[in-house]
Amino acid sequence: MPTDPFTTAAAEFERAMLRNIKGLDYFTTAGPTLGATPKDVLVERGTMRLYHYRPRVDDVYRVPILLVMATTNRGYIFDMVPGQSLVEYLLDAGFDVFMLDWEAPRPDERRLRLQDYVLDFIPSAVARVQAETGESDVSVVGYCFGGVLSLLWAALEGDGVLANLVTFTTPVDFSKMEMFQAWADRRFFDVDRLVDTFGNCPGDYLYTAFDMLRPGTRVAGNIRLVDQLHDDAFVKSFRMFDRWAADILPLAGEYFRETTHALMWENRLNEGTMTVAGRQIDLSRIISPFLHVAAEHDHIVPTPASAPLLGMVGSRDKEEVMLKGGHVSLVAGGNAIRRLWPKLVTWLGSRST
Amino acid sequence: MLRSMAADDPAAFLRSMLGEWEKMANSVGGAMLRSDEWSRGMNTASGATMNAQAASKDMMERALAAAQMPSRAEFEDLSARLARIEAALERIELRVAGGTPVAATKPRPSRSRKPPEAKG
Repeated sequence: MPTDPFTTAAAEFERAMLRNIKGLDYFTTAGPTLGATPKDVLVERGTMRLYHYRPRVDDVYRVPILLVMATTNRGYIFDMVPGQSLVEYLLDAGFDVFMLDWEAPRPDERRLRLQDYVLDFIPSAVARVQAETGESDVSVVGYCFGGVLSLLWAALEGDGVLANLVTFTTPVDFSKMEMFQAWADRRFFDVDRLVDTFGNCPGDYLYTAFDMLRPGTRVAGNIRLVDQLHDDAFVKSFRMFDRWAADILPLAGEYFRETTHALMWENRLNEGTMTVAGRQIDLSRIISPFLHVAAEHDHIVPTPASAPLLGMVGSRDKEEVMLKGGHVSLVAGGNAIRRLWPKLVTWLGSRST
Repeated sequence: MLRSMAADDPAAFLRSMLGEWEKMANSVGGAMLRSDEWSRGMNTASGATMNAQAASKDMMERALAAAQMPSRAEFEDLSARLARIEAALERIELRVAGGTPVAATKPRPSRSRKPPEAKG
């Protein structure tokens, strides 16, 4: 039904006025405070951080949860603001929640290797969670490359310690990550020179790579922001996600070199030839209950890149779920609150007693 | 339909067109960015930038070293280490002074929760 052009014009005029007022707010105020759920820092060692979130109920599930963040990004994607925080959601559902998060590696940490993450940082975090809770087993939830690290650790050292393993958007067939494959093409990309020059792989390089995956999105997003400046909820959400997306961490140099060689170029995890510190990785050794969650419109880890994972893991109790959403909206925002979070709580709840 | 939308509500029409443009830019731009030519060009440009940055950094570090001055990276590293030492000292001070360690003040919930469907 055609709308009255005068009504439409009046509404647009009102929006334009609001935009001017709110626009001033946008440039003169800081964004919302992120990652503010009360927590204790248990470990602060170089690039490694281990947080324990304060329980919000009197009786929690026996098995604690350890969230393992991707090494390129900040863990506050799991704890944006009250009401939009996976951590808060898990706490309210009765879980004891820990997070293994990362700071930018220091210049002297450029020699950290994959084995430091898989056989030092994760086991140290797990041991601390065990000591803190008095429980012998832990559920591990890894996001993106945090999922890859969790898989590698679980295959080598998960026996008897790992209660449940959950991975979100976790690649195993790196040949299917087409954009990254093109840019990391070994004919043109000299990872050795990059690492030898900078020590650690600069966050700017990674930010540009993530940004170029969707070349039109930044421009369209900024136009949408101007258009929606009158809408407080939209602006708040935009600021949260924009800040998180721009907050990319550098990667330890040797770790970046090693992952580029072994995973991007040689696709070793998918080929079954992956080793960490000389130890063969066999994902069929993971026998704990396993859940993988993929995002239907994931532009960073396309679904074919994670498709073989379920078949590779040895667990009898295993499940893969494909949810609507993208790489980030799978875990945070309105889409996640409706889809992933309830699924995670139900799945883990029945396996955490 | 687009014509009537444009006539009825030009702003809504422009919003819809922005969405279409974004899809097109991501699709066409994505295809271009996946090409060998782009990859070669991008990595050549990155290599040149990297060399320039490395040369400038090297020159600056030499100049600072010659003047017996620490570099920015060394300052940042020291500052981060000092922050960690301060945090550790604070924890130690609290314990030495007989303050309650953080761990003791933390709520210690019981660990017998059952999933909702399992509750009697």
